[in-house]
Amino acid sequence: MLVGAFACAHTPQLLARPGTEDRDLVLRVHAAFARVKRRLEALRADAIAIVAGDHVEAFFLDAVPALAVYVGRECAGTFGRYRYRFPIHEPLARAVVEQGVERGFDLFYTQHAPLDYAFYVPLHFTMPEPAVPIVPLHVNVYLPPQPTPRRCYEWGRALGEILRSRPERVVLMASGGMSHFPGTDRYASPEFEYDRRLLESLKAGHGRELAAITGEELDKMGNIELRTWATLLGAVGDARADLYCYEPSWHHGNAVVEWPV
Amino acid sequence: MNDQPHYRFPPASAYRLNRCLFALKSDDAFRARFVKDAPAAMAELELDAEDAAAVLRGDRDALLARGAHPYLVFMADLRLRMEREPVSFEFF
Repeated sequence: MLVGAFACAHTPQLLARPGTEDRDLVLRVHAAFARVKRRLEALRADAIAIVAGDHVEAFFLDAVPALAVYVGRECAGTFGRYRYRFPIHEPLARAVVEQGVERGFDLFYTQHAPLDYAFYVPLHFTMPEPAVPIVPLHVNVYLPPQPTPRRCYEWGRALGEILRSRPERVVLMASGGMSHFPGTDRYASPEFEYDRRLLESLKAGHGRELAAITGEELDKMGNIELRTWATLLGAVGDARADLYCYEPSWHHGNAVVEWPV
Repeated sequence: MNDQPHYRFPPASAYRLNRCLFALKSDDAFRARFVKDAPAAMAELELDAEDAAAVLRGDRDALLARGAHPYLVFMADLRLRMEREPVSFEFF
């Protein structure tokens, strides 16, 4: 069953805390992550299904999956000096890929691929105690052409149905966002007003509006990663977002959000 | 999807260049070889002279003009700087 749904920023500076960052802002985002962690413990989650966009770490131009599921025994990765490893909830991962294909989504799967920091950062801060296994779900956000937000939303709707039909207590988490432009001239000028308008719409329960946004608009607004949110929104439907925090730093709109399921 | 100003389809002509930037970002052993002997490391990946010159200069605009992915340019540069002059993280 699906017991919770959250979106979490994965801004690497939240983890590495370099001197370029506003300490108080980072600590406010950490406090929001701590709330998520307590919620996961209260929800007695058996597994976290986490949707994130690989930053050209597992999937280079040799093979570019639009939607992928990790179905190995465990997964591991590195980010700078950070080393991490998580057990995968194998029966759940296998159910997601098998039933997803059954429902018409031609999913890519892997039993061995590096796990990107987009998965790690939220898990570092929000993993409940005791820890639970995960199911990493990749959505291509960095290598055009990416799946459309509408396709992500439709995949999320199917994913939500699959998770709801399972015996495990599953939390769905979307990693990424909001506005940021890594590697471009816009790095120091994200579209915070766009983020705020979108959050108002999500708080009003209009998640399906994200499905109608074009890929061009997401790119222009520094929000290519919101394809992970679109996936989650497909699963939670018109639920009203509960905004834990929105903290715009000099390079990144950091949001932490919960949706009732 | 034909008008994305920030992240564009990486042209096949830039495959080797992007592979080099990907290796600088994600392959610690390659990055160490690059720091030691950049021309030899780039020769392993069969970069042509223009690509190699742009990588050596760290010329972001030239790399992007040659089809490099902006995120790979950004992270390859960050990783190289961290390798050459270790910075202190977890500042607070």
